[in-house]
Amino acid sequence: MGCSASLPERSSNQLGRGNSENGGGQDAKNLRVKLVLLGDSGVGKSCIVLRFVRGQFDPTSKVTVGASFLSQTIALQDSTTVKFEIWDTAGQERYASLAPLYYRGAAVAVVVYDITSLESFNKAQYWVKELQKHGSSDIVLALVGNKADLHEQREVPIQDGIEYAEKNGMFFIETSAKTADNINELFEEIAKRLPRPSTN
Amino acid sequence: MDASTSSQSLSFFDFLDRMRNPASINLVRSIKSFIVSFSFYPPNPESDGKRVQEFYLTMETAIREHPLWTGATEEEIDCAMEALEKYVMTKLFSRTFGVSHEDAKIDHEILEKICLVQTFLKPEHLDIPPILRNEASWLLAEKELQKINTFKAPREKLSSIMNCCRVINNLLLNAAMTENHVPAGADEFLPVLIYVTIKANPPQLQSNLKFIQLYRRQAKLISEPEYYFTNLVSAKSFILDLNDKSLSMDEIKFEENMKAAKLTTKVTSAASQVTQTNLANQHGEKKIPGGSITASPLQESEYPYLEAKSEEMTLKDVDRLLILYKDVVAKYTTLCKAISNLPPSDKEPILRCLESQGVGSMLELQPVIENKEASHAKEERK
Repeated sequence: MGCSASLPERSSNQLGRGNSENGGGQDAKNLRVKLVLLGDSGVGKSCIVLRFVRGQFDPTSKVTVGASFLSQTIALQDSTTVKFEIWDTAGQERYASLAPLYYRGAAVAVVVYDITSLESFNKAQYWVKELQKHGSSDIVLALVGNKADLHEQREVPIQDGIEYAEKNGMFFIETSAKTADNINELFEEIAKRLPRPSTN
Repeated sequence: MDASTSSQSLSFFDFLDRMRNPASINLVRSIKSFIVSFSFYPPNPESDGKRVQEFYLTMETAIREHPLWTGATEEEIDCAMEALEKYVMTKLFSRTFGVSHEDAKIDHEILEKICLVQTFLKPEHLDIPPILRNEASWLLAEKELQKINTFKAPREKLSSIMNCCRVINNLLLNAAMTENHVPAGADEFLPVLIYVTIKANPPQLQSNLKFIQLYRRQAKLISEPEYYFTNLVSAKSFILDLNDKSLSMDEIKFEENMKAAKLTTKVTSAASQVTQTNLANQHGEKKIPGGSITASPLQESEYPYLEAKSEEMTLKDVDRLLILYKDVVAKYTTLCKAISNLPPSDKEPILRCLESQGVGSMLELQPVIENKEASHAKEERK
């Protein structure tokens, strides 16, 4: 299950060598965005990002594909670019108390659950509450129901996801990392919702 | 040494060269007076960190506007700033590194915790899947992390963390490629990093992390380096708070393991104390040949015949000697049995410790000693 077709073929991991990484390139045209992934272990958090990062075929874009840190730049229609720096977090219960170290200063939090696991949906709600309490106030929140291809085993009705997200002012989408359904849509929508630094 | 490191050290010498140029006199003056200014105040990590960061920014502006750097590329400016950071922090190292008592206390707590946990922790206790249990990779990662104290510059300390994480990262990527293994990202990365950190037991972990956080140029502690740095901070917190609920291990078993580990460390420290007293006693009057037990008044009452000579002994002593002998043998065999019943992972450190104390392998010597002592006792009875 999970990533299947999107196993990394050639890793262009450039850990630590990013000299030209040009820190703080925070002008209005080129955003650098810290995105943190939260969710129970096994819901396919890393598969979603791998799909996203590998699915972009712009040869000019600089990507970093680590096992748990990935970055990818996307170009939007208004000729701005958004560089997502994606921080994966360990989803096991025993690491739950460490999460604040990761989501501190994040502009975006993507909370992922598995539509075939009610437990993972409950865990997602825990993360949302946690973020509302301790995350930065202008953080963009997205709720993602993954493994949408496994609809025969569905335990979480799509309506429940929609309603919960609406109540909490979040963006909601169901994805399948396996079939790549809605993966790009997820990141494009997030990019649109980002607050822009005001310029003239 | 990889390419980036050697080019970094080249650029450091290049920076020093430029500083020798008479045109740099003003830059040199600012750097020197900044360094000297630190001797006017007692160390205060938070405000010192802030001052250093502000100084970096001031100097960056000065370098950008300086004639020696006219037309310099962003990369050249960056190299100059890396060199400046290295120069300033090497000079200020003893005033800024490990000066906080609080951090030193945490360093000690982590060290103690790791020493205990090390004696029984297995990869499965952190649910690390078999495909990631690669001793060679882990050893490499541990070595990188252990290097952290060999550097003074924040950038180099940070890169020792990065190198460690890079090894783990590659291990995970390889696992994802070779097997039908679903990449699990941080779900796998963090446990392996925690395991490697416990195995490596890097020196002064808290002080090192604090130092990097305060004195690494803020513009450089972002993105990927920040992510891996955060992971080590998180591993540190996990280890510090590690309790009976942190591992995939029965809670009672965890407590037992911790108790046994504490006992071992106590035995070790007690044994080292004995050796120390022995060493001190070597210049004293009393010396017991071949013995590692010192003859303090207290021990004399516990082991009354230790100093006795055969010609002084009478028949009356035999009964008492026999009782004492049986008692000693009973205690000794119980101890041996207890040690040999321990799982190998627990036994080895104890045996190693005994060996290093010159006690030798007590388990193997057991029958020999027993026989000797028994024949001695027989002789004495005659």
